[in-house]
Amino acid sequence: MTDATVLDVSQDTRKSGRFLYVASVVFLCAWVIVPIYLLLINTLSSPEAVNSFPKSFIPEFDFGSLQFFAGFAGMLTALKNSVIVALMTMVMSIAIGAPAGYALSRFDFRGKELFRLLILLARAFPLPLLALPLAVMFIQTGLDDTAFGLALVHTTLAIPFAVLITFSLFSGIPIELEEAAWTLGCTRLTAFTKVVLPLILPGITASAIFAFVISWNEVFAAAVLTIENRTLTAFLLQNLDTSPLHLKFAGGFILVVPALIFIFAVRKYLFAMWGIANR
Amino acid sequence: MTLISKFAGAASAIALSCVAVAAQAEVLFWSTQAKPVEESQAMREQVLSGYTAGVDYQPNDGGPWITRLNAELQAGSGSIGLLGALHGDFSAMNPDDLVDLTDVGAMAKSATFNTLAKLGTDQMQYIPWMQASYIMAANKEALQYLPEGADIDALTYDQLIAWAAKVHEATGEAKFGFPAGPDGLKHRFFQGYLYPSYTNGVVRTFASDAAVTAWEKFAELWEHTNPASTNFSFMQEQLLSGDAWIVFDYTSRLAGAFNERPDDFVAFPAPAGPTGRGFMPVLAGVAIPRTAPDMEASMALVQYMLKPETQIATLRATNFFPVVDVALPDDLPASVQAAGAAIAKMSGAADANPGLLPAGLGDKGGDFNRVFVDTFERIILARQDIRTVLDDQKGKLAAIMTATGAPCWAPDAPSEGACPVE
Repeated sequence: MTDATVLDVSQDTRKSGRFLYVASVVFLCAWVIVPIYLLLINTLSSPEAVNSFPKSFIPEFDFGSLQFFAGFAGMLTALKNSVIVALMTMVMSIAIGAPAGYALSRFDFRGKELFRLLILLARAFPLPLLALPLAVMFIQTGLDDTAFGLALVHTTLAIPFAVLITFSLFSGIPIELEEAAWTLGCTRLTAFTKVVLPLILPGITASAIFAFVISWNEVFAAAVLTIENRTLTAFLLQNLDTSPLHLKFAGGFILVVPALIFIFAVRKYLFAMWGIANR
Repeated sequence: MTLISKFAGAASAIALSCVAVAAQAEVLFWSTQAKPVEESQAMREQVLSGYTAGVDYQPNDGGPWITRLNAELQAGSGSIGLLGALHGDFSAMNPDDLVDLTDVGAMAKSATFNTLAKLGTDQMQYIPWMQASYIMAANKEALQYLPEGADIDALTYDQLIAWAAKVHEATGEAKFGFPAGPDGLKHRFFQGYLYPSYTNGVVRTFASDAAVTAWEKFAELWEHTNPASTNFSFMQEQLLSGDAWIVFDYTSRLAGAFNERPDDFVAFPAPAGPTGRGFMPVLAGVAIPRTAPDMEASMALVQYMLKPETQIATLRATNFFPVVDVALPDDLPASVQAAGAAIAKMSGAADANPGLLPAGLGDKGGDFNRVFVDTFERIILARQDIRTVLDDQKGKLAAIMTATGAPCWAPDAPSEGACPVE
């Protein structure tokens, strides 16, 4: 084997490796973008175009479907409610979930394994089963039909994720870092706020996004537990399945966009986390 | 830091939202009907806007609808003022949970409907609100393949099969469309159309020899049915997309096609079999739960819903037809005109054989439908032997009838006690 062929072979493998890399990137991007793009096209198409085949890849900018929703009574209130409930869920699930995650990763206590298992149980029961007794209790206690009441339910759904995500985050940060801070004059609290917190902030954001999305997408509890203060999903989603196709697309688009905007707004914290993971 | 300021913002939002619980004077209309966004929009803007005291119209899926209602009933206090649902939804409820509406001063024209609304008690459990039915519709392109001598307004099942076969042959595609999808209303076709047309019954004749013939005919029709039908639930979509040319479905599930391209489609009566032209009217009603916050207001809203003007507005909004005597105006939407004409021809046909919605089954209504859906899946999709399947399913049907004690309904001959499966 001469030097030239060795060079060729290594160049070949590098080339095909590069091709595979680019192809996977393109494939993964398409995986996410194509459905959203199709949703956008159909949202901006007239009813005739939506029902016809093959589809054009350039939207015709027919705003009929979106205009329909602009005039749909209660949309903005529902959107506001959705955002409020999702934000409350986010704050509460982090406020409760992060300390639990810290405790799980830093302390040894009896029943720790059981606790980790039990925390997942909140997700083991389907909501339609829980909704009836919950609604009865909410009506009796006055929590019924409030954003706070619904946020409590959504928080319960989001906490398992918050706990497990923050648990693995805290576990990823060596206790030695904290101990070093203690020797340099930090208290347990200041060591946490000055050393650990900045390191896990991106991870906290990630679990906050999870909480936000879980709350944003939840329909059943929202439909049962709120009347006047409906969230956007409860307000729209259950009516969309029986609606004409072009309105399904437009409604779906309206449901997706706010969540996308939110994720976009906090993306830099997420990327920062992935940066840590790579290091 | 920005994150912290975001959390601060969220916290202030929480504080704001806690104040936002306002007093409500509007009657909450909790409905399973007029659910598609366009229809609920029309209900709010055209039907209920005329009611001065104000109505909050909220359409829901069946699950949240009944869960919320049950929660209010259990808690003993509620916000729902008026329920709107199908006959079957009400018949599944405990009669004590609904307020007696006998003296509300509004009633349907049809005595049959008013009797149905008593749900086997001696008082009006709900007030009939609107009605619809299942009809056939076709793309006009299919009309050229109508078998010779066939009148589209008086088709027989044999002619329908021949027609679907000709279309299949000419286009190379099976173009009959049947709503056999998960949300499709296929069971109603068997209960209200196929069985009455072939056996003049539903329960008594479930496993009769005539029923075997009926399923054989349906299997023949299935040969020319778009195989994707097991995913179809709203045939207006397949009419519009051209996946199906000849379809059977609920009037309001066909309305979209007629309203979007009125010139492309025709509506016509369901076909007839040896024992007449079986068809099934669908009945929706309004009722008041015992936990309604303001009885007077709820009663007033019931009266408002039954007014002729409201009934016509409801027809425009939802494609459900009035239950009281009204003179229909000429400028109705295309879907209403087409469906109205088809229903009129169907019910006015000399060989009309109207069946009723299953009654008296209580919460076993779903199981009853399941028997027919399972039979369909086994005979048509799994191609099992018809006689074996019917004899097998017969036991399940008989068990449901004995458990509920439901007497026979038309077109079955009346029974003493539970309707027997013969």
